[in-house]
Amino acid sequence: MLEIQGLVCKIGSKTIVDGVSLSFDPGRLHVIVGPNGSGKSTLLKAFSGEWVPTAGAVTYDSVNLTRIDKLHLARRRAVMTQLPELHFPLSVEEIVMMGRYPHFSFSPTPNDRAICGQVMSHLSIQPLSGRDYLTLSGGERQRVQFARALAQIWEAPASTSRYLFLDEPVSSLDIHYQHQLMQLARDLVKEKIVLIAVLHDLNLALHYADRMIFVKQGRIVAEGAVPGIVTPSLIREVFDIEARLLEDPQSDIPVIVYA
Amino acid sequence: MLYKRNQLWCALPFRSSLLLAVSLFFIACGNRFGDKGNNKQGLRIVSVSKQLTEIIFAVGGDTALVGVDISSTWPPAAKKITAVGYHRALNSEGIISLNPTAVWNDGNWGPQPTIEQLKKVGIPLRQFDGGATIDSTKQLIRQVAAEFHNPKAGDSICDRLDRDMARADSLRKTYANQPPLKVLVIHFGQAANQYFVLNHRGTQQQMLEWAGAINVADTAQKWKNLSAEVIAKSQPDVILATDYGFDLQGSLEKFKQLPGVALSPAAKNNRIHRIEEHDLVYLGPRTGQNVYNLIQLIHQH
Amino acid sequence: MKKIPFRVYYIVLGLLLLLSLIISARVGAVPISYEHMFYFLRHPGTSIEEQLFLQIRLPRVLLCAFTGAALSVSGALMQALFRNPIVEPGLVGTSSGAAFGAAVVFVMGKSLTGAWADTLGPFLLPVFAFIGGGVATWLVYRLSNVFGKVNVNTLLLAGIAVNALAAGGTGFFSYIARDPQARSIVFWNLGTLSGADWENTGIVGVCACLGILLSLFYSRSLNALLLGETEAGYLGVHTEKLKTRILLLNTFLVAVATSVVGVIGFVGLIVPHILRLLKSSDNRFLIIGSALLGAILLNVADMLARVIVAPSEFPIGVITAFAGAPVFLFLLIRANRQQQKGGFYA
Repeated sequence: MLEIQGLVCKIGSKTIVDGVSLSFDPGRLHVIVGPNGSGKSTLLKAFSGEWVPTAGAVTYDSVNLTRIDKLHLARRRAVMTQLPELHFPLSVEEIVMMGRYPHFSFSPTPNDRAICGQVMSHLSIQPLSGRDYLTLSGGERQRVQFARALAQIWEAPASTSRYLFLDEPVSSLDIHYQHQLMQLARDLVKEKIVLIAVLHDLNLALHYADRMIFVKQGRIVAEGAVPGIVTPSLIREVFDIEARLLEDPQSDIPVIVYA
Repeated sequence: MLYKRNQLWCALPFRSSLLLAVSLFFIACGNRFGDKGNNKQGLRIVSVSKQLTEIIFAVGGDTALVGVDISSTWPPAAKKITAVGYHRALNSEGIISLNPTAVWNDGNWGPQPTIEQLKKVGIPLRQFDGGATIDSTKQLIRQVAAEFHNPKAGDSICDRLDRDMARADSLRKTYANQPPLKVLVIHFGQAANQYFVLNHRGTQQQMLEWAGAINVADTAQKWKNLSAEVIAKSQPDVILATDYGFDLQGSLEKFKQLPGVALSPAAKNNRIHRIEEHDLVYLGPRTGQNVYNLIQLIHQH
Repeated sequence: MKKIPFRVYYIVLGLLLLLSLIISARVGAVPISYEHMFYFLRHPGTSIEEQLFLQIRLPRVLLCAFTGAALSVSGALMQALFRNPIVEPGLVGTSSGAAFGAAVVFVMGKSLTGAWADTLGPFLLPVFAFIGGGVATWLVYRLSNVFGKVNVNTLLLAGIAVNALAAGGTGFFSYIARDPQARSIVFWNLGTLSGADWENTGIVGVCACLGILLSLFYSRSLNALLLGETEAGYLGVHTEKLKTRILLLNTFLVAVATSVVGVIGFVGLIVPHILRLLKSSDNRFLIIGSALLGAILLNVADMLARVIVAPSEFPIGVITAFAGAPVFLFLLIRANRQQQKGGFYA
């Protein structure tokens, strides 16, 4: 369980996140949406521990984030961002193994190797394992990064939750891979992981999320279960654009169409 | 045995550097660790001082010389002897490979680690002091002659030197009624890659005095960079350019193009003369002759 | 190439190192046969050849190996830190700072330190070189340390600035130097292993081994750093501490070696890169491999230095440049060809 109390994030005199209080339960895909500059990425950074808030608290299972050691945090919290730039050739299995770094001191144990194998087959990237990462396509690379993040939190610790944050992970991918990735994320729901994503595309969010949080100018405008939470007036208020919701005959999730 | 090694490692990507190492092995095989010299006293001397080298040749001890530093350029036969490097950047292995019985030096050599290594290995180091004045040079000549059990040679060289110095002095006196010539010596420093004027410290100062000339480079240090200001301040009647620096320019006309030189009285009267470095920067058996030649040179029009 | 396990590389490199050490001990202006070598090691005596072998040749061969290892590992560390393959250990100012320290000693020597010069004795040059290297690196570090975070881009720029400063200082001293001093500066700047004795070889050896072992400790964190600082942070790496420590390690490895042998460039750039092209960018492999390969290659270079113009000595810095470049080009061309089939550096 991730809980946020009165979170404030400032750079100098500029306030990016202005008093946000939320909680995120495991077993659901929570998606944060908002226009550029709304502070949604900063929120995620505060959740993951990369950004130290100016005020307020972030707690993981009732323990304040600031009191958790960086290495122990890395054992149960993974973050996936847009594709990192790699300048040196590394094999796919080396990169996936990096997800296990927080778990071993010098050399990977057989357990670590087994986990990497399981993760890679779960994501169907076993055939790529000896390949040089730099020779992969965008979609393949994203799956490798996803595998790395999964390998980090594959094992369920006894008393605490696991956390996976996705910061606009699909922005540079084509449609096929966008959906592929979101489906993979969705599949994790049953694992009881606290799953939070920041997305740009409202339709994509609507299609996969269990709960959506709308953010504007550092504040929560609205949040709630999908699809009920989304209305044209909310979209107008947050994104300043006219929209309509069309029913999809084959699913109960509406499609947003913009004027 | 070597053959097997080549075949075994042939397939590896490092074979190029390995082949190199192996060929070095062959080169190394060819060397012999020194022959015994044919000098009747069994002396094998490495000289790292150009002054000592010249004196050794003069007293007839050159058959014992197995190595010299690269600045030992007189007599011409010295250039045929194995060179061990620059006297301030020597390496001990090279010297040891010549199997010397002693390394003769004037105290001005290095680097220090090389000296220490030679001591450690047990090569005798002989330092010969002096040689900055005519008297100490004569003493040095006699000392070296004694080393080769040839005191007569030492005496005759010293006598000759005295006679030559006297002859040079007479020649100087014939110009005594004229105002003394203002001379500037321009040298090329190879390491610093620039031209210097040689100042009041150093052998060239003495040589010019004996020649009855005035060294118009004005500071007390040994060197100063050549510049238009230096020329303007000194206004030399005659410029002496040492061999390497002169040859670098190639001709008198080109030499005049160095900073400020063209403005000097010397350049205007074409009184720029080439002089061998080994005739000017240290004293030795030929100093008397060198002074004589110097006087003639600077009065040449 | 890529399928061969790491262990094979280590074994092959290890054997090659042993071979190069033995051949290097044999080769030189005074060649020493293998029989003589074994004899000397078992029956200590006083002949000149033996003294040469035990007091000059052996320490030199070992110093060469330690220096090659230290410089190469340093290169691997810097390339990982900057996430850039064209980075050299000298980039952060260590080599040029050391060169400046040496120039000061050559030109001003005893007049600079007075009584100290006598206590320091033969250590005057290495101490000043070490101080020069250390100060230069510290300056680069401080310049790039903004709000407690080391900005890697600023580090690069600060390195350029400090290098230029040190080079200017060395240039100034060369300018005011007398010709023999200027020549000493030039020779030192080209590097030489001729000053090797058991004392300084021991110092460099201990520092090199220590430094390399410590580097291995950070190899995992450096791998994570390849993904980017943020990503490494998510994997639990304390990036700020890591950057500071790697910089310190680099100074330690480079300054100690440079203060004894002068500036030998190119080794830190080429060796890790050869290994990267051959197998992988995994930093543990790079560190171990660079230590071994660097020791081998520098020994080959030193063999050449001792033999080409015997009994004189050719500056080793020139050889590392001439020898390193073609090998590197060869590998790069091969890699390019592989790339057309979908190989590395796509």
